[in-house]
Amino acid sequence: MLHDFAYAAPTAKDEVFSLLAEHGTAAAVLSGGTDLLVNIRSGIARPDYVINLKGVSELAELSFDAGQGLSIGACVTVTKLLADATVRQKYPLLVSAASQLATHQLRNRATIVGNIVTASPCGDMSSPLLCYGAEVELASASGTRTVALQEFITGVKKTVIRPEEIVQRIIVPTTYVGGSGNYLKLKRIKGHDLGVVSVAMLTYATKIRVAIGSAAPTPLLLSEFPIDASAKTIKQAARAAISPIDDVRCTKEYRAFMVEEFIERLLAEVHA
Amino acid sequence: MRKIRLRINGDLYERDVRESKTLLHFLREDVGLTGTKEGCGAGECGACTVFMNGETVNSCLVLAVEADGADLQTIEGETAEDGSLSAVQQAFARHHAVQCGFCTPGMIMTVKDLLQRKPKPTREEVIHGIESNFCRCTGYQQIVEAVLDVTGQLPDSEKEGLKYV
Repeated sequence: MLHDFAYAAPTAKDEVFSLLAEHGTAAAVLSGGTDLLVNIRSGIARPDYVINLKGVSELAELSFDAGQGLSIGACVTVTKLLADATVRQKYPLLVSAASQLATHQLRNRATIVGNIVTASPCGDMSSPLLCYGAEVELASASGTRTVALQEFITGVKKTVIRPEEIVQRIIVPTTYVGGSGNYLKLKRIKGHDLGVVSVAMLTYATKIRVAIGSAAPTPLLLSEFPIDASAKTIKQAARAAISPIDDVRCTKEYRAFMVEEFIERLLAEVHA
Repeated sequence: MRKIRLRINGDLYERDVRESKTLLHFLREDVGLTGTKEGCGAGECGACTVFMNGETVNSCLVLAVEADGADLQTIEGETAEDGSLSAVQQAFARHHAVQCGFCTPGMIMTVKDLLQRKPKPTREEVIHGIESNFCRCTGYQQIVEAVLDVTGQLPDSEKEGLKYV
């Protein structure tokens, strides 16, 4: 049984903002709920007030604009992203990662924004979004502000969100549209699992962009490589950037080993 | 408490429910539909899978209040009013795709959803399609066979074995 809390399902953003202003850190924002309800059940989260965002229709919008790029609203589920023809055509690396995120049931509820807000080092959407240069748009009663995804996640499950704010959308610019990419994720089993370590690689024109998950307190974006960079060069840069730990799922040595293995495999795909 | 209205297996319900109650506990405790099971309670095992507005969800990770206005289908809706089993249920029975039976309601919801999206899944697609649901008894083999059988894809060599089961 979950502890008792009050619940609101506002239909306008202004109502969300005033509830957040009133309840502050005692409130939790509910979108997909696939992290929040697990955290409430285990006692990690103990909100007095739960604010369901799904009644605010504009937060469920997924749209593409040739100028601004892809806009992923707070309540866009992983399933909705995967079903979108524009996303499939223009942002293949997002599709590769999203299709490996959890299970079908969870993808039907879990949101892309929620995956970023949870800010887990193993969040499947962080690395691909970093490769695409995504930005996070925060909103509150006092307005909106935009921060780069690298600056948004500051540590293990830590972000720059203020108590009165929500992430209202992620913006993925068009800079790398036309590029191709893939996401490799190490799991303990063949079925669904959290990533033990993961690497996303995006190639665009003359550049290679690489991001790594579960190998540091935050997902890591390496600095850009030229298209003809060798595996040795990329692996060296990765080795210098990562700071993996031992935990119940893996040793730090094996994480470091698999980062390099994945870089080799992804680069072989690029050159194939 | 909050009043919710929803449709479950075609019937309309209007109930007062605690805000903190999960959809799973609402179904089991308030509505008395105990076919849906609680395994892990954390979205890992799929035992609590139900249809909500046409999509499968882990009902342990949905609040009952979030289902206000929703259309749900549970394992109880799978059997016809005269008690006859659905084609998927019959295939599970024929292949003994059940041992303790705890995962079966969720597994059947998942298989039903898979077949709606992919009417003729390959063996690989069936294996991938049921990865959301844990079964600790069967080793999954009989479940995969049941799905291939109900979609008319079970090789004759595997059907032969059925005679001796």
